[in-house]
Amino acid sequence: MKTPALKNKQGLGSPAELKYPMIAIALAFIYIASGFIAPKDPSGFNLNGFSELPVLHGGRVKPLDTVARTSLLMLRGKQTLRIGERRQSASEWLLDALYFPQRSDSAPLFEIDDPDVLGSLGILQSSNRYYSFDAISPSLTAVEQQAQMADQVKPDQRSRFQRSIIKLQSRVMLYQKLQNTIQVMGEDHIVQNLRNLGLNARDKTGPDAAHMLEHYQFLAMAAEFRPLPDQHAGSNQNNWSSVGQGILNSIAAGKANEMALDYAVMGDAYRSGDSAAFNGALSDLQNKMKGLIPEELFRVKFEKGFNQVEPFYRAMALYLCVFLLTLFSWFSPKGTLRSAAFYLILFTFAVHTTGLASRMVIQGRPPVTNLYSSAIFVGWMAVLLAAILERLYKNGMGNVVGSVIGFSTLIIAHHLAVEGDTLEMMRAVLDSNFWLATHVVCITIGYSSTFLAGFLAIVYIIRRRFSAVWDSETADSLERMVYGIVCFSAFFSFLGTVLGGIWADQSWGRFWGWDPKENGALMIVLWNAFILHARMGGIADQKKTMLLAVFGNVITALSWFGVNMLGIGLHSYGFMDQAFVWLTAFSVSQIAIIALGAWPDHYDLQPKTLRKI
Amino acid sequence: MNARLRPILIKLGSMRLTLVCLGFLMALVFIGTIAQVPMGTYEAQKKFFNSFLVYGKIAGFSVPLYPGGLAIGSLMMVNLISAYALRFPYRRKQAGVVILHLGLIVLFAGQFFTQLLSTESQMPIEIGQSTNFSESSRRMELVIAGMSNSDHEDVTAISEDALAREGKIALPGKSFSIRVNKFFKNADVRMAGPNENPIANRGVGLKITAGDQPPVATDDQNNNTSVYIEVFEGGQSLGVWFVSLGMGAPQSIFAGGNEYSIAIRPIRYYYPFTLKLKEFRHDIYPGTDIPKNFSSQVHLTDNETNESRDALIYMNNPLRYRGHTFYQASFGKNDTLSVLQVVKNPVWLTPYISCVLVMLGMAIQFLTHLTGFLKRKNENASA
Repeated sequence: MKTPALKNKQGLGSPAELKYPMIAIALAFIYIASGFIAPKDPSGFNLNGFSELPVLHGGRVKPLDTVARTSLLMLRGKQTLRIGERRQSASEWLLDALYFPQRSDSAPLFEIDDPDVLGSLGILQSSNRYYSFDAISPSLTAVEQQAQMADQVKPDQRSRFQRSIIKLQSRVMLYQKLQNTIQVMGEDHIVQNLRNLGLNARDKTGPDAAHMLEHYQFLAMAAEFRPLPDQHAGSNQNNWSSVGQGILNSIAAGKANEMALDYAVMGDAYRSGDSAAFNGALSDLQNKMKGLIPEELFRVKFEKGFNQVEPFYRAMALYLCVFLLTLFSWFSPKGTLRSAAFYLILFTFAVHTTGLASRMVIQGRPPVTNLYSSAIFVGWMAVLLAAILERLYKNGMGNVVGSVIGFSTLIIAHHLAVEGDTLEMMRAVLDSNFWLATHVVCITIGYSSTFLAGFLAIVYIIRRRFSAVWDSETADSLERMVYGIVCFSAFFSFLGTVLGGIWADQSWGRFWGWDPKENGALMIVLWNAFILHARMGGIADQKKTMLLAVFGNVITALSWFGVNMLGIGLHSYGFMDQAFVWLTAFSVSQIAIIALGAWPDHYDLQPKTLRKI
Repeated sequence: MNARLRPILIKLGSMRLTLVCLGFLMALVFIGTIAQVPMGTYEAQKKFFNSFLVYGKIAGFSVPLYPGGLAIGSLMMVNLISAYALRFPYRRKQAGVVILHLGLIVLFAGQFFTQLLSTESQMPIEIGQSTNFSESSRRMELVIAGMSNSDHEDVTAISEDALAREGKIALPGKSFSIRVNKFFKNADVRMAGPNENPIANRGVGLKITAGDQPPVATDDQNNNTSVYIEVFEGGQSLGVWFVSLGMGAPQSIFAGGNEYSIAIRPIRYYYPFTLKLKEFRHDIYPGTDIPKNFSSQVHLTDNETNESRDALIYMNNPLRYRGHTFYQASFGKNDTLSVLQVVKNPVWLTPYISCVLVMLGMAIQFLTHLTGFLKRKNENASA
């Protein structure tokens, strides 16, 4: 007996059969398109315009929207802020943080879930994990002292409490820096002060001069980002200044800094609830920027749009739909649901690709630059390969495995994003587009194809054990898929590993140093070689090959994440505190699946046909 | 071929042996990686990968527990070569297999010879200064330098390995000899208390007691390598000195009417050319402390080849000159000191050759598979 899906080998024919695919694509399209509609600003303040303002932060020019989102992620673990029943967008929150301390200090901003940290703050642990700055401010000195003590301990030897208190301290710092970026926190009548400064600029001996100088020097020092470009800012990122620096320069030049003034007017207007004045000053500021840095402005707007559409988040939801559709398709009499799932996975892949390409455009870098982007790319490559397999075999296997890996890797990426800006600048030794585009991409392709083979093998094991229909055609097609993907993986893993060695030879003077990351990559190569030799030598039959392929998942996960947890070696740029539990759980689950598959079943009793491929 | 040898070669070249080797190597790589956390990369590498046997302590005895990287690597080479001799199908369809495994042989052999022939050392240069030697970052030597009246210094260096054997060491061309009474890989040095009798009876050692402490594990620490040496002239002891890496200045001994200085310092490698550091740059991304670039502008002067030119050494772009490669490795002293890593590796090209061979082989092999598969699939579809 054959599975229903297999009967429809020739794909689509009549318009009736195209009905489901068309509906699926149309719905998905509407879902994605809805992301392009900017949310309305009920307050009347031009929030969208504000969030598109370019600033220099973390070494690159980005929209305030990105600053808002990444800061909120770091403080709170989420991109929005819930106050009571109201949900505040990241940009809205940033406005408060920059201009309106009374309001932002009372918002439940800091996520603290470590009981010891709460205890040291004298706060009873409750179901609420979020605490306002007002709630923790009485203990700030204590937090700072504890953090300083913890800082003396080596990172890998810190206790959970020490790690948490350092994290809290750095988040408090971030928050306070933001509050002192555009203006000194709590300062009023700024516009008036600045105008006076413009008038009195030449009078550097006035009674307020020393005080003012100190004031703006503090502002220059505390700033989290630099919002003021000068006429050379388009070509050189050194030509962005903080508000404090800008004002100090203007005092020296005897001319008020117009853009700092615009920012100040916006602040006064925002605090007094005058949306017209706010929007007017914003529009003035935008016009000045347009004259100064038109190209940067375009890129920044693009990034703001990318943030707003959230292509990876939406792709994640769509992959889930593909998965469910394919599962249903195995129970439906016709193949139309399967092909609907296939078209939907193609569409989702296009969304995924657009997201990936947008990141490359914004950053001007090859696709993989850090752990976050490796997760995005692993999913992308696996879905691409899975879609090709689906096109070849048309039995839903590619859909299922592609959607599962696509969904999981995007979830992983989502959780990796809390570390801050995912488009961070590349540290010196990594600053090489050539090696990022070759070595890093090949290694990541190796990860994704090893996972793909492993997940196909899981489908083999589960269906063989639990499915009512298990025929040699499905079995053989899965085996061929796994074998082909393992070959593919062996090729790219080896290429990536050797290229990595050559890069190491170019930058550190040794091809191979048994560094943990190198060893991780080597283990994937060795394992793929092991599977290929076992299969080609006729030592592993079909089922054993599948079990070996599942173990590839464990090795790849260890190589991808485990190495970062070791926190040593030249490669350990991104130290991960947690995720260890997840890695262990995943490895245990894979070994359980191998055990499940290894347990003899009644197919084992049938005469064995050991085929050499 | 010899009828008795053939069955053995068949076994040695078998796919099963390949699998056994791969399996053992995987496990070794895994253990060797985990072991780097407590041991540091350098020590773990020595124990697990650059060894024939991995020893462990059982009930106080050091016993071999597991084959080391060299043993597994050698067995894999034997396996590969035997397979070449007997098993590989020299057919056009299998050309990929033959080429790709040749690449592996080149890779393994290259790494083996790298192990044997390559040296690594560090060259710290301050801005404006010139140097013609580099220093090992791990291995030390005892240096006895004559302060004679002649123009050039007469230097005798005794390597750490020779010191570690303890006992008498003759010094050719010198009127005196030395005996290593005690060698410390890593000495714990303290000021001697009022009731302690220092072993040394000359030099700084008079006020010092030294004890053994375990060699450091992590890669960013140095061992305080130290020795007690006794100097003999004409069968008579001139005294016992304590010499240690931790002591900055050398100590003096008088023998045969001359003054000599003794000290322990990192092993030095001298070059027939000099490098002068003209400029060191440490760029960061604006508004952050993320490093963007490190670079050293050096001036190379070689009187033998009559070369005198500038070179820029930066990340991913070393200077290769006369068999040595100079990499930007580190920096210090408020960005006025640049540390170059100096590597001499005569077989550095082997990975490049290997990479090309393996990729070519795999591509041929897998593409043959793929085209065959797609052909069959099309035939099935049209049938």
